[in-house]
Amino acid sequence: MKRRGRGMACMWYPIGFTVSANPSSAVVKVNEDGTATLLTGTVETGQGSLTILAQIAAQELGIATEDVHVVSADTDTTPMDTGAIASRTTYVTGNATKLAAEKAKLILFDVAAPMLGVKPVQLEAKDHKIMVKGYPQRSVHIGDVANHARLVTGEPPIGSASFNPHTVALDPETGQGKPFGTYVYATQIAEVEVDDETGEVEVLRIVASHDCGTAINPMLVEGQVEGGVSMGVGFALQEEILFNKDGVQVNPNLTNYIMPTSLDMPEVEVDIVDNYDPTGPFGAKGVGEPTLVPTAAAIANAIYNAVGVRVTSLPATAEKVYMALKAKRSQAPKQIPGGGAQPQLGEAPSAGN
Amino acid sequence: MEKKPEVAGKTTPLETLQDADQMLRVPAPAPLVAYPLEVVVPEVRQQTPAVGQRATRPDGRLHGLGQTKYIDDWYFPGMLFAKIKRAGVASARIKSVDTKEAEAMPGVMAVITGKDIPCNSFGPSLKDQPVLADTRVFHAGDGVAAVAAVTEQIAQEALDKIKVEYEVLTPVLDPLESLKLETPGVHAPSANIYGHKVIKKGDVEKAFAESYRVFEGTFRTQMVEHVPLEPHATIAMWDANGRVSIYSTLGRITLGRADVARTLGIPMSRIRMIATIVGGNFGGKNEITTEPALALLSKKTGRPVKCTFTRPEEFYASTTRHPLIMDYKTGVTKEGKILGRKIRLVLDGGAYCSWSETTLGKACILSAGPYNIENLYAEAFVVYTNKTMTGAMRGFGAPQVCFAYESHMDDIATALGIDPLDIRLLNAFEEGSTSPTGQKLESVVVKESLLQAAQRFGWNANGNGKGNGAKS
Repeated sequence: MKRRGRGMACMWYPIGFTVSANPSSAVVKVNEDGTATLLTGTVETGQGSLTILAQIAAQELGIATEDVHVVSADTDTTPMDTGAIASRTTYVTGNATKLAAEKAKLILFDVAAPMLGVKPVQLEAKDHKIMVKGYPQRSVHIGDVANHARLVTGEPPIGSASFNPHTVALDPETGQGKPFGTYVYATQIAEVEVDDETGEVEVLRIVASHDCGTAINPMLVEGQVEGGVSMGVGFALQEEILFNKDGVQVNPNLTNYIMPTSLDMPEVEVDIVDNYDPTGPFGAKGVGEPTLVPTAAAIANAIYNAVGVRVTSLPATAEKVYMALKAKRSQAPKQIPGGGAQPQLGEAPSAGN
Repeated sequence: MEKKPEVAGKTTPLETLQDADQMLRVPAPAPLVAYPLEVVVPEVRQQTPAVGQRATRPDGRLHGLGQTKYIDDWYFPGMLFAKIKRAGVASARIKSVDTKEAEAMPGVMAVITGKDIPCNSFGPSLKDQPVLADTRVFHAGDGVAAVAAVTEQIAQEALDKIKVEYEVLTPVLDPLESLKLETPGVHAPSANIYGHKVIKKGDVEKAFAESYRVFEGTFRTQMVEHVPLEPHATIAMWDANGRVSIYSTLGRITLGRADVARTLGIPMSRIRMIATIVGGNFGGKNEITTEPALALLSKKTGRPVKCTFTRPEEFYASTTRHPLIMDYKTGVTKEGKILGRKIRLVLDGGAYCSWSETTLGKACILSAGPYNIENLYAEAFVVYTNKTMTGAMRGFGAPQVCFAYESHMDDIATALGIDPLDIRLLNAFEEGSTSPTGQKLESVVVKESLLQAAQRFGWNANGNGKGNGAKS
């Protein structure tokens, strides 16, 4: 019989490296037509980080995302970056990008101030224009300012900057210190169906409620969460590298190492928790790794809720769940056969209040 | 299409001939275009402000049209293909490597072994990993030789012609066995524990003595692979100025360049590292693999050299996720408030350190969970075994410890008859809470995320998972 259960797991996860420096730098150049070029040493590994960085640069310069062209990942041309690791790109490279864009913007303000007859501090960059704060009608197109900078004042608007999260080393004996700049938090709730005759587990639904500070691009956050959940489902139920007694892998291929496919994917409901981190670019933190952290735990708790067996080692394969169910049945008091009284496996173990 | 004349008399002989000619003509192949012309290039959208927009990725279009060029799609004139000979034994002493027969094969342009690498060690923290094993094999996926040939097939055949003589040693495979001091060192003479971390806060034993109940649990996790769609791939091109360009699937080019410079003993300014679009990283592409070997093969042959990992190599020759053995002991009040927690983590570090130090640190710091625990003792060890090296993988130890602390949490909730949501809300961090390392936490939303997820899911307190009423 198939039995349903639910389980939750929450987590916290840091952004950036543990204590050690992990700087990023960026260069932003504003072109004469009001578009911009961003140079970054980070690598797009499929997560959409370059789009996030373009959005951050665009926001700072008051232009559109598609106005920013990103040049990345070439040691001959792009500035130093610690790389696509530790969920750090939005937070660390994002901060560097924002600072670099700000420097380019300040040059634009210096150039635009005499054009508008005000002081640079009275200006803001918004909607493709450099405008006097509070007087949007007194403005000049950002491209005209950049062109003026090149042709008249001779100050091309180029900004470069670096960022490194602030940390404090840990005491070697007590482990006390400030290892990370900031953390993110999340909860995932899983609903599963467990076949109590075969031990097979199917994940029906995952509700994922994630904090990433400001969501620079909610669509990419959702993409990360869905990808993380699929990885979490594999970690929870299927994937395992096995070794023979000589220490040689026996299943190094995708026929025997079973990854979840689209058919194994539960329905994923993504919820972005409203938050703002003052240390992040426009309040953003990160979301890459945390998306898979609570998935396996939530599924394991849901299995427990469904059939009352605690899986203490991952993956919770059908064999493992079946053996645990069998062990549980053999411990259960003997029932008189045919009396209609079967062991109450599906009884929710947490009776509640 | 050409229309046949309906009435022959109405058509001039010339037209008839042209028509026949048209009918005979073999259809011309479709013209080659760089991008499908029928697809209209999207208009540039001008929305501001940019932050918060559901902006589409510029590379998404290329992926969708199959136009993204991954390294394996690239070809340079005269390019050779490299293959790596894998040890296939978990622990052994290399007595000899004979490459003569392979080198004599037609089409084989160069063969190198570990002895050809100027500085045969690298690693993000401990430099304990060889580019190609020269004297010792520490795990079955270790490379012992590299071949460059004019085709991939010839390179593959040449691997079989390389004769390696091993003195096979007993491998250390169990991390708990490896933890014992009497177990022979994987990297003898040093012991197998190569990383240790402690977090101490308050008095755990006193807290256990004051607790209403003390719970214990042991949890284990397995070794898994990142399985990116695109396997590791590299093209190295050495030029006449002694400068090498390396196209690689690395996620961290700046540090990759430093590793290549060190292993090859050349200045960083002579290395250009380019990471193109990477087809999935998940932590598995955070350090160099074959880059120095390919650079040397390119130097030796004067030609570009490409190597793409096979799927099996992706499993046994790249890093994997640390298996963890996690012992938890938690003292709670009758209401479910955690008074003290003691944790011991043992990480199976595999054959090389790789990113184990980071994983050890993060696992240890995060192991208590997002909960206010005044009395905490967490201790973590990482040990060498003769298994595939474990390194960075999405979460750095966090998914493993989360499985443990959250399973443990539900066990406690069940025993005390408390709803899993309530026990978490009771213990969760809030704004200004202090982390296990004494850090004051800001922008904390654990409770918000719990409540939001519970509401969305329809979590109600009586525990059957089918209710609709939100709990708040």
